[in-house]
Amino acid sequence: MPEFVSVARVSDVSDPGSMLVEVSDRLIVLIHASGHWYALDDVCTHDGGPLSDGPVDPEGGTIACPRHGAKFNIKTGAAETMPATKPTVAHEVKLEGDRVLVRLHDGS
Amino acid sequence: MPNTLTAPGYTQEAFDSFLSSRDEPGWLSDLRRAAWTRFSELGMPGRNDEEWSRTDIRLFKLDRFGLPSGASTGGEMPRALLAKGVQLGGSTATLDGAGTVDARLAEKWASKGVLFGDLPTLVVEHADLLRPFLERRLVNPGKDKFSALNAAAWAGGALLYVPRRVTIDEPLHSLSAMSDGGVDLNKTLVILEEGAEATLLSETASLTPRGGGFHAGSIELIVEPGARLRYVNLQNWGDQVWHFAHQMAHVAARGHLQWTIGALGSRLAKVNQHVALTGQDAEAQVNGVMFTQGRQHLSYNTHQHHKAPHCRSDLMYKAALQGESRTVWRGMIKVDRAAQRTDAYQRNDNLMLSRTARADSIPGLEIEADDVRCTHGSTSGRVDDQQIFYAMTRGYTRQEAVRMIVEGFFQKVFDRIPIESVSEALGEAIGQRVRAISD
Repeated sequence: MPEFVSVARVSDVSDPGSMLVEVSDRLIVLIHASGHWYALDDVCTHDGGPLSDGPVDPEGGTIACPRHGAKFNIKTGAAETMPATKPTVAHEVKLEGDRVLVRLHDGS
Repeated sequence: MPNTLTAPGYTQEAFDSFLSSRDEPGWLSDLRRAAWTRFSELGMPGRNDEEWSRTDIRLFKLDRFGLPSGASTGGEMPRALLAKGVQLGGSTATLDGAGTVDARLAEKWASKGVLFGDLPTLVVEHADLLRPFLERRLVNPGKDKFSALNAAAWAGGALLYVPRRVTIDEPLHSLSAMSDGGVDLNKTLVILEEGAEATLLSETASLTPRGGGFHAGSIELIVEPGARLRYVNLQNWGDQVWHFAHQMAHVAARGHLQWTIGALGSRLAKVNQHVALTGQDAEAQVNGVMFTQGRQHLSYNTHQHHKAPHCRSDLMYKAALQGESRTVWRGMIKVDRAAQRTDAYQRNDNLMLSRTARADSIPGLEIEADDVRCTHGSTSGRVDDQQIFYAMTRGYTRQEAVRMIVEGFFQKVFDRIPIESVSEALGEAIGQRVRAISD
């Protein structure tokens, strides 16, 4: 199983907000919403657009693809609205002091 | 044996040094300088550009690579797949575009005025002959940053020049290899003068299957009136290579081009393949075979441009996808107002071997003439479980059954390639990659 990798400081991402990070040659959108942290593949499963350019909705618990508006659950990666029908991959996040760490989910 | 050492970065100083290290005619240096200016002006392709919207290159770091320097460290060349069992009329091989590892042409062809071998060497030796063809610049240097880089700093590559009415009845072979982490800015230039005929088998490969690196290449095929060219291009880079290529063919009146592409390797490939039929009664057949695995991403933009009347083009691309790989095929048939009585077809079939693979298939037509036949088709589907079950009841393992079905899927393309070694090499390379279907 992959190790946790430090990707950012807590202060790097506002709440609500998101940030694009690279983990082991993979693009991940790191999300800060309502005091919690999440990490998803930076890929909209509809047409491959980058989620990191899209708005985070902390109340709905979603991030939207800026291209066609597909929304993904920031916790599970599930596709919640059309036109996406397949989930994007969700990764594990933890905090250590002021560092945010991500562990890739390898079963994507 | 040459190899390339590169200084990271694409600075003006690096380019000046690159240029001064080459003993080339002034007109060629001027072409390079103009392209370098364009390269410096252009930004990296963005995902807001429709052509790049489905191909994510944010992980590609151009400044980790550099310009070919021609320095030598050595390395064992990979085995040439397409040349196996073929009586060749000539062959050429380069490593990292740094120079010719090996080049030969049978005397019987050389004596007829055929030129074949290392492009940088031959362009110096035959500058007056080749200058008009290089100045035509079939591939537009300003198309994007990669085409500009290739136009400015191409190094290595093959030239085939066949004089008028000369028929070469033995295939020629070129191999372009890259070391792990290397840079390949290869350029292939093929010129068949009026009534000439030739077959060129061209392939790219890494020194190690897991190798990485950066390729920004160009291919220019010039088929003059009544000439016939069969061109096979197998892309078999290591699975960490970034592959960007611009490929352009010009087929004049009564000319015939059969162009076959095999795309197996690379981490990410973005290829523009463009065929222009510029004279009456010209014909092009384009075949594509793609097999992807792991997290590979292969993107092919094909363009069949009918500029003259009574021309025919027929494109068939077939892809089989494993793992989490992805293919993007975007095809366009463009028919100019003058190109009446055009007969054009494009087809893309995708065989999905896993539930996590993805194939995007986007055919397109842009027709300005009013008396044409232009059609297209696209299919995507999974392997029929009943076929696998039937094969397994006959004693085959699941993997063997899948391999047979994949071979059958590609057979239609193989049947269009009249060179047995090519069909066999492609079939063998694909067969080695096929695993059992994953859920």
